[in-house]
Amino acid sequence: MICPDVERLIDAYSDDELDAAQATGVKAHVATCPTCHQRVAERAALRRLIRGVPYYAAPSRVRRAVVAIRRPARVTPRRLALAATVLLAVSVGTGAVVRTVRARQAATATLAQDVVASHVRALMGAHLFDVRSSDQHTVKPWFQGKLDFSPPVEDLAGLGFPLVGARVDAVGGRPVAALVYQRRQHTINVFIWPAADTVGALADARSFRGFQVRHWTRNAMALWAVSDLNDLELDQFVRALQP
Amino acid sequence: MPHLDAAFNYARWLTKSDADAEDVVQDAAVRALRFFSSLRNDDARAWLLTIVRNTWNARFSRVGSADEHMVLDDMKDDRPDGQLDAEALVIQRQTVERVQRAIETLPTDFREVIVLREIEGLSYKEIAAVAGIPIGTVMSRLARARERLLALLGPDLARGGIGDLS
Ligand SMILES: [Zn+2]
Repeated sequence: MICPDVERLIDAYSDDELDAAQATGVKAHVATCPTCHQRVAERAALRRLIRGVPYYAAPSRVRRAVVAIRRPARVTPRRLALAATVLLAVSVGTGAVVRTVRARQAATATLAQDVVASHVRALMGAHLFDVRSSDQHTVKPWFQGKLDFSPPVEDLAGLGFPLVGARVDAVGGRPVAALVYQRRQHTINVFIWPAADTVGALADARSFRGFQVRHWTRNAMALWAVSDLNDLELDQFVRALQP
Repeated sequence: MPHLDAAFNYARWLTKSDADAEDVVQDAAVRALRFFSSLRNDDARAWLLTIVRNTWNARFSRVGSADEHMVLDDMKDDRPDGQLDAEALVIQRQTVERVQRAIETLPTDFREVIVLREIEGLSYKEIAAVAGIPIGTVMSRLARARERLLALLGPDLARGGIGDLS
């Protein structure tokens, strides 16, 4: 290796981010070249200086405030089943309770099929956009007068999920807002409509016909995200989509 | 809540204000707790920091931060001659202050990669995820940020016991 190569790699070398072969090459050069040796020494010294700066630990006031935040219950199918079991144990004639839980699970499954169908329809029919914009301040007002509610719209370009457009779609026979996000060549459709209940939690994750589906409710809105993206990245997207 | 210190430290460096950092961290915590139970442990810190950054970004406009381009004249070593061998403790305290101010005067894009790498010890991959930039950009920003800091802090580096850097 010669100096320009080493100079280009010097930060990654100092950060221990080179593969073994490159690291060995840089190390050998640094051992014989005073200039590059100095560069490595400067970075080590700078790191010591920076680490000498006081750390901003969370003040106890913040700590207390965060502890006081009520963690919303996570509604998983297992919890629903558990709740049903408990109710079964403490009440008499609880067939109705179990039926209610099962009916809700069935309704959720039907909605999952509906949102996937809308997702596929939009992609195949090439009617993905009524409005094509990455600007949340263009997209949100666009829904005015087209829906009887105002869906939350947030561009997530900064997190690697740019908003690319929106349309009015239909799910289960009712008009819904559909936001379209992009991740590489993958499209994510987010369907939004007013929720029946207001559980602010991720309630449902499943795959259907090869698509990943996520469902949660927030601020009295039901949200469904559908994509052919892998489940880890779709979870990342769902977490990013916070108010 | 795990990683709360990391969240506050990052927010404090982003906002350069205790009060703003408190607001950002509390907002971020509300968001994070909603999904925290689904986070794998090794990802949790990077995820929380991502949420902190997202919250800060939504709250504070990044334009018009003129302070980031301020002239650095006042950072020069203005101690009069003859005082150079003053008490080591004083020198050390002044060095820490200068380092702190040098980091604060970096543009936000540079400041955050320095804080995430040098103070929080995140990997390039984690920094890329938190800042929403490619790994190549992490590397080039770190390199440029360090060049700036080295230019600003050269004398402190030499005094910091690096004999061959006079
Ligand atoms: Zn060299």
